[in-house]
Amino acid sequence: MPEIQFREALRQAMVEEMERDETVFLMGEEVGEYNGAYKVSEGMLARFGPKRIIDTPISEAGFCGLGIGAAMCGLRPIVEFMSWSFSWVAIDQLVNNAANVRYMSGGQFRVPIVFRGGNGIAHQLGATHSHRMDAVYSRIPGLIVVAPSNPYDAKGLLKTSIRCDDPVIFLESEMMLNDRGEVPAEEYTLPLGVADVKRTGSDVTIISWSKCMKYALKAAEMLEAEDIDAEVIDLRTLRPLDEQTISQSIRKTHRCVIVDEDWPYCGMGAGILEKVYQHCFDDLDAPVKRVCSEDVPSPYNHYLELQMQPNPEKVVAAVKEVCYR
Amino acid sequence: MNVTEPTANMSINTMEQPRVKRQIKAKSKERARELLRMMMLIRRFEERTYQEYTRPGQRIGGFCHLYSGQEAVAVGISAVFQKGKDYLITAYRDHGHSLALGMDPKAAMAEMFGRATGCSKGKGGSMHFFEVENGNLGGHGIVGSQIPLGTGAAFALKYKGIPGCCFTLFGDGAINQGVHNEALNLASLWRLPVVFIVENNKVAMGTQVERASAERELERRGSGYNMPYRAFDGNDLDEVIEVVGDAAERARKGEGPTYLVANTYRFRGHSMSDAMKYRSKEELERARLRDPIILYEQRLLQQGIITTRDSEEMESEVRQIVDEAVKFADTSPHPEPEELYTDILSEKYPLHK
Ligand SMILES: Cc1ncc(C[n+]2csc(CCOP(=O)(O)OP(=O)(O)O)c2C)c(N)n1
Repeated sequence: MPEIQFREALRQAMVEEMERDETVFLMGEEVGEYNGAYKVSEGMLARFGPKRIIDTPISEAGFCGLGIGAAMCGLRPIVEFMSWSFSWVAIDQLVNNAANVRYMSGGQFRVPIVFRGGNGIAHQLGATHSHRMDAVYSRIPGLIVVAPSNPYDAKGLLKTSIRCDDPVIFLESEMMLNDRGEVPAEEYTLPLGVADVKRTGSDVTIISWSKCMKYALKAAEMLEAEDIDAEVIDLRTLRPLDEQTISQSIRKTHRCVIVDEDWPYCGMGAGILEKVYQHCFDDLDAPVKRVCSEDVPSPYNHYLELQMQPNPEKVVAAVKEVCYR
Repeated sequence: MNVTEPTANMSINTMEQPRVKRQIKAKSKERARELLRMMMLIRRFEERTYQEYTRPGQRIGGFCHLYSGQEAVAVGISAVFQKGKDYLITAYRDHGHSLALGMDPKAAMAEMFGRATGCSKGKGGSMHFFEVENGNLGGHGIVGSQIPLGTGAAFALKYKGIPGCCFTLFGDGAINQGVHNEALNLASLWRLPVVFIVENNKVAMGTQVERASAERELERRGSGYNMPYRAFDGNDLDEVIEVVGDAAERARKGEGPTYLVANTYRFRGHSMSDAMKYRSKEELERARLRDPIILYEQRLLQQGIITTRDSEEMESEVRQIVDEAVKFADTSPHPEPEELYTDILSEKYPLHK
């Protein structure tokens, strides 16, 4: 199987879907002539031309709303945010319009649109550019939120997202774009709303997604040395949440740690934790532990920034705690 | 100021050479020398920042945007800035404005090194310089986000009866944000003492003005709000002082906001990772002919306000100041781990943590 970068997987998904469906187009800041701020859309302008690869002014509210309107009228826009942090200035369009139009129109209109871009803490970008939007959008009925952790999942999930008839919030990470992984040459898609058990184990369930999956898997490896056999679930879709896969795993392991980069209070992990207690309270042998970012704005300083975030060591410590070790 | 007629938007090709003989607008010869020196300091600071950012073992991180080429705008504003009364707010390309308003280069460099001695204690970084004592309301990372904040500062001045104004700066890309419209209308509707200044460096990241604004005469983007608007040569320090000074006086007298477009050019890439494929070498070379520092230096030389020796001395002075700033930054401590949890709220609430 060919090994490709995460960014290439995203590009392949977009290119294939654009080849397949004339109504799909890509729009965003610097996606065309500049070839993408992070080179995800490199070469796409040359291939598809300016009708379908559209450079926008810095007008997020404007072009997101425009995309939603176009989606209501039969197109399938892919809107790239240079960073999900910039979606705050467009949030009215995403939350009030993209999420609600189908409902408010009694099902007359659908909004087949994908919003995608880098989410979360990158490298010393400071408080304004390091937002984790996972929980912000996952709490909104009417949206689908996808957050892949590797190139294979990214391609399969993005293709499905583009074909999906609902608005999809697709969360990538600037820190993953260079990651390489095997992606088959043949066409494939992956279902939305289905988690993936990335590693089976019997002692504890570690739940994570996106960039933090690396810490979860690394921690699972480290825990082997301590004779703890961890199962690691990659949620892949945050809304709708695959509660079944989570419950099945916890019924087997009786212990759970949730790892994410969001803030602790009202963060994404808190929402998942509530589901775990709803379904699995009686199955648990220990309170669930969460590993997440510290409850502070993102600092610029390199060391403070590392201190703020989850890492494999913090995951190992949490697992040992729930295993009473 | 009677400037409701828009002037042509000067492109880099058609901008005429500024008049060398033009009258010096600085308050004194001594002040003119200081302004030149400040422009030199900013240039040196930025070029050194570039070196520090790109050298191995990178000590500056994150996004970093250099001001080289645009110095006359910030320094011209500083010449009319009334400390203690006025405010200034800008975007993430904020090193020049901060130095011009009087920030110690040491605190500026230390911030980029992420050190506890930085102007924001290492928590803000290059894009988020602030200095309350100088009326510096900061650098702001989200494009356009500072435009309503600057309008709010002006509101506070008016509310408190202080005859100051707020210089509210943003890029040519930022005018396409929604808040630009909202803030301009509020400012004019309530006659707030704001001087809006678009630093038109011709490009937003890799997007030329023509590809982002339907109206190419950018000053006209300030029309329709019942306030004066005009474009001017932002590379000519004396023109900046004159035009911005008039607008500031209007604001301070309670006559409301003005919308100004400073035509300038950035010599460096948008940020550090920019290959600049969107512009030719020739364009850059042409722009360098209108280097604001050289233009002002020549004017002062021709008018006998400085000698070549003065100018050489200034160059070596600023070089030394910047060297010291780097040394200071490099030897300053990183913030203590506890600093992660400070400056979030005004005090510890009993149930927090
Ligand atoms: C809301 C938002 N969208 C996008 C960005 C990314 N970005 C940062 S600077 C920039 C270009 C802005 O250009 P301009 O306003 O002309 O100012 P300049 O950088 O030229 O000084 C972009 C797109 C951002 N920081 N905030």
